[in-house]
Amino acid sequence: MKTLWRVWARVTGLFRKNWRDREMAQEFESHLQMHIDDNIRAGMSPEQARREALVKFGGMEAAKESVRRTSRLLWIETAARDVRYALRGLRLNPGFATTAVLSLTLGIGASVAIYTVADNLLLRPLPYPDAKQLVMLYEVNQPRAVRHNVISPANYFDWKAQSSAFSSIGGFFDFHIILGDGKRTEEVDAQAVSGEVLPALRVQPIRGRIFTPQEDKDDAHVAVISYRLWQNWFGGDDAVIGRQLQVNSQPCTVIGVLPPDFYFNTRTSDIWLTLGLNPSENLRKTQGRWMWAVARLKPGVSLKQARAEMTGIAQRLEIAYPEFNKGWGVNVEPLRDSFVGEAKTSLMVLLGAVTLLLCVACANVANLLLARYSTRRREMAVRGALGAARGRLIRQLLTESVILGLAGGISGVVLAYFAVAGLVELAPRDLTRSVQITFDLRIVLFAFLLSVVTSIIFGLAPSIMASHGDLNRGLHEESRTSTGSGSRMRRWLVVLEIACSVALMAGAGLLFRSLVGLQNVDPGMDARNVLSFRVTLPTQHYKEPQKKIDFFAQAADKLSQLPGVRSSSATSYVPLNGIGAATGVKISGQPPAKPGEEFVATIRTVLPGYFRTMGIPLKRGRDFNAADDVESTPHRFIVSEAFVRQFLRDEEPIGKQISAEMDKENPFGEIVGVVGDVRDKTLDNEPTPTVYYIHSHLSYGEMVFVLRAENDAMSLADPARKVINGMDPELPVSQVRTMETVIRQTFASQQFSAVLLGGFSLASLLLAAVGIYGLLAYSVTQRTREIGVRIALGAEPRTITRMVVASGARMVIIGAAAGLAAALALSGLMKSLLFGIGPRDPLTFIAAPAVFVVVALVAAYVPARRAARVSPMEALRAE
Amino acid sequence: MALMVLKTMEAMGPLHGYGIARRIEQISGDRLSLNYGSIYPALLRLEQERAIVSEWGMSENNRKAKYYRLTAAGRKQLKQETADWEEASAIVARFLAAKESL
Repeated sequence: MKTLWRVWARVTGLFRKNWRDREMAQEFESHLQMHIDDNIRAGMSPEQARREALVKFGGMEAAKESVRRTSRLLWIETAARDVRYALRGLRLNPGFATTAVLSLTLGIGASVAIYTVADNLLLRPLPYPDAKQLVMLYEVNQPRAVRHNVISPANYFDWKAQSSAFSSIGGFFDFHIILGDGKRTEEVDAQAVSGEVLPALRVQPIRGRIFTPQEDKDDAHVAVISYRLWQNWFGGDDAVIGRQLQVNSQPCTVIGVLPPDFYFNTRTSDIWLTLGLNPSENLRKTQGRWMWAVARLKPGVSLKQARAEMTGIAQRLEIAYPEFNKGWGVNVEPLRDSFVGEAKTSLMVLLGAVTLLLCVACANVANLLLARYSTRRREMAVRGALGAARGRLIRQLLTESVILGLAGGISGVVLAYFAVAGLVELAPRDLTRSVQITFDLRIVLFAFLLSVVTSIIFGLAPSIMASHGDLNRGLHEESRTSTGSGSRMRRWLVVLEIACSVALMAGAGLLFRSLVGLQNVDPGMDARNVLSFRVTLPTQHYKEPQKKIDFFAQAADKLSQLPGVRSSSATSYVPLNGIGAATGVKISGQPPAKPGEEFVATIRTVLPGYFRTMGIPLKRGRDFNAADDVESTPHRFIVSEAFVRQFLRDEEPIGKQISAEMDKENPFGEIVGVVGDVRDKTLDNEPTPTVYYIHSHLSYGEMVFVLRAENDAMSLADPARKVINGMDPELPVSQVRTMETVIRQTFASQQFSAVLLGGFSLASLLLAAVGIYGLLAYSVTQRTREIGVRIALGAEPRTITRMVVASGARMVIIGAAAGLAAALALSGLMKSLLFGIGPRDPLTFIAAPAVFVVVALVAAYVPARRAARVSPMEALRAE
Repeated sequence: MALMVLKTMEAMGPLHGYGIARRIEQISGDRLSLNYGSIYPALLRLEQERAIVSEWGMSENNRKAKYYRLTAAGRKQLKQETADWEEASAIVARFLAAKESL
C-alpha cells in the first residue's frame, strides 16, 4: 500500500514538475531564513549567520536533486527520452523505417486477419449460455464411413426415451418457405425445430414467446421470427405478435421475435416453425433419415459418458430393428466442431502459414536493424566509454524496435480490418455459414500484444549485439572490415527467411496443384452455358400432384421457347450442390440383400430433356419422354453407369425391373436408359450409383430448372424469371446461378486456402528477396575497398560477380534445404486438403525451391553487378 | 531517519523542516550532526507514503514556512517502526552480550 501511494505520488509528480521545483525553492528559502534568524538571535553577524546556515544545510543543489529524484518516476522520463531519441533516429532514416514498418504491417496484418477468423471460429464461445454443453447427435453409417448423417425421427424418439445423459434432445432441419402477408410474398430461409431446441439453446425472445412443447406436438400453426425479418418486413412494429402470415399458403400466427444476434446452425434463418413430429406413428415405416438433432448435456455429464451411453443405445436399436438400423451408429459431437467442420484444417494450415510469414517479416526487420546498428557501432562504443550502462543502451535500442513494432501493428490492424472483410467475402460458405466473424477490441488487444512481442523478438538480439561493448574495436571501426558476429547473424537470418518462404511456397504449391486437379476433374456433364434456378410451389395451391406435374412440364416447355435457349428441363437437386437424397434399391430377380448390405443409390427426379440440357451423355436406351411424365404410366427408370457396374454386375440393364424405397409403395419399374456418371457432393468423390425418376412418379413441390443457353447463360435469368412469374406471379425464383458457379463452390475451400497461402508465400518471397538483396548490397558496400584491390590486381568483373552471387547462393541453398525439410515434415497435416496428389508431391517439392532459387539469384545479382563495376581508384580513395 | 522524523513530530506536533532538523540534533545532544538539507528527501518520501501531510503556515517569527503534520497512518507506521527497531536493537544487544561472555 505504502509503495502504491508512493508510485502514485510520483506519477502525478511527473505532471507538476515546475510547480514542485518552485515550492521546493520556497521551502528551502524559508528554512534558511529561519536558521539565519536563529543564528542572529544567538549573536552572530548577519554575514556569519548566513554562512553558518548554508554550511549546516549542506549542498543546496545536491539536496534539490535528491528531492527531485524522490519526486518522480525516473524510468518513465527515461523512456520518454528514449522514444524521442528513437523517433528522431527513424525520421533521419526514412527508407529504413518504411521498409521495416511495411514488412511488419504485412506480417502482423496477415496474422491478425487469420487470427480473427480462427478466433471467431475456434476459440470464442458460441453465443448460447453454457454452450460447451451443447452437442449435435448424428447417425453414423458404418459401412460407408459417413460420420455426419442425418437421423431418423424414429431413432430420435428412441434416443430421447432411453438416454439419461442429456437434459434435452431436440430435432430440427433447415429449409425454406414462401412467406406472404397478403401483399408481399418472398422465399425465406426457415428452420423447423422441435419444442426442445430453442429452450436447449436458452434463447430468450425479445418480444412475445417461443413454442411450447405442446404446440410442437400439435404442429400448431405458430411461428417465431428473426429480429432481421421483424425489422425488414414489419419495421420493428410490436403489433407483429399475433399477426397472421401465410407460410406456404397456410395461415400461421407470429408468437415471438428472437434477439438480433441469434442464429443456429445457419445464419440465414428468418423464421422458426414447429417440427410437429408424431411419436406414435410408425416412423420407421413411413420416413427415412432426414433431420438433425441437437442436445444439451446434463450438468456434470461429460462428452465421454454421453458417447458411451449413446453407443449402447445405438447397439440396442441396431439389434431391435435390424432391417432399418443394421450398420448404423451414433456420433455425439460438440456443437462447435459441427459448426466449424472441415474448416478447422484449412484454418490451422493458414495459421501456420501466417506464423511463417510473420517469422520472415521479423527476420527481415531484425536484419535491417542489424545493418543499421552496425553503422552505429561507433556511436555505441563512445556512449559506452562515456559510462552508459549496457542495459541502458539495450533499452534504448529496444525502444526503437518497439516503436517500429507498434507502427507495424497499427497499420497491420488497419490492413487486417479490411482483409477480414475480404476474407469473409472470399470464404467458402461452410466457413461462415454458422459462425459470425466479428472484429473487435479483443482482436486489437491481440494485435497490440503481438506487435510488442514481435518487436522484442526481432529487436533483442540485434540490440544485444550492437551494445556489445568492445570499445577498442568499435572506435577503430573505420577499418570497415565486416564485424564477425553481426554479419554471421545476418546471414543466418536470411537463411531463416529463405527456409520459411520455401516451406510456405511448397504448401501453396500443393494447394494450387490440388486446385488445378479439381478444376480438371470431369464432372460428368457439360456445365458451360447452363443456368439453374429454383422454384418452390406453395403446397396449399398445388395440392394435387397433377397440378405440380403440369406446372413444371409447362414451365419447362415455355422456358425452352425463350430466344437463346437450346433446351430446358428441371431436376429435384442439381449435382454438386451439397444436398441430395439416397435410398435403398431392390433389383428384381436378385435375392433380397442381407441387412446392412443393401444397395443404396442417389435418387434424382428429372423432367424429359434433363440429360441433353446438362450435357450428360446417354449411353444406352432412351431418355424420358413426355409420355412417361404422366402419373398413370407404369414406373420407368434411368440409371447411371455406376449403378450398372455395381448393382447389375454389368448385365444387360435395359428392361431390368428395379424399385427404390422413396414412397409408401414402391412398385417395380423397367430401366429404359443408362446415362454417364456425374460427380455428386464434391468433385473429389467417386460418382455414386444413381437412379433417375421421371417427375410424375416422384413429384416434388420444388424443382431446380436448368437451361442450356446458346452463349451467355446469365443473360437468361431475367427472361426466365418473367416466364415463371407470368405463370404465377406469387412464385419466387431463387438461387439463380450458372452451373459453373455451382461447381466452383464445391472447391471454394480449397480455392480459399490456395489463394491465401499463395498470397502469403508471394509476400514472404518478396521479403526474403529484400533480405538477400539488402544483405549482399551491404556487404558489397563494406567490401568496396577489398573488391577495388582485387580488380586492381586484375580480377575479371565476372569473377567478382560470381564471388558475390556465390556468397548469396550458399545462403539460398542452405535455406531452401532447411525449408524443404520443414515442408516435408509438415505437409502431412494438409493431407485432407489435397486432391489428386500426395502431401509429398515431387513436382511441388522441386518447383517451389526452384522458383525461389531463381528469384533469390536475381536478388543477389543486382548487388553483384554493382560490385563488378567498382572502379578501383574510387574504391581505394573511398575512405 | 524516517523513524526520528516521525518520533519528533509525534512529540512536537506540526513542525516545519528546519524545526524538525533542529529538534533531532538537540535530542541527540548534538552528538548527531546532520546536514539539514538531507531532511527534505526523507520528508517528501514520508509525504508520498501518506504518513505525513504538509501545508504552508506562519512560523513563530512570522515567516512563511511549510508545516508537516503526522496522519493516522503515520502514527501507525511510527508504532510499527518503533517496535521493529526495538526488536532489532534488542537482538543486536543480546548478540553483543553473548559475545562478551565467551
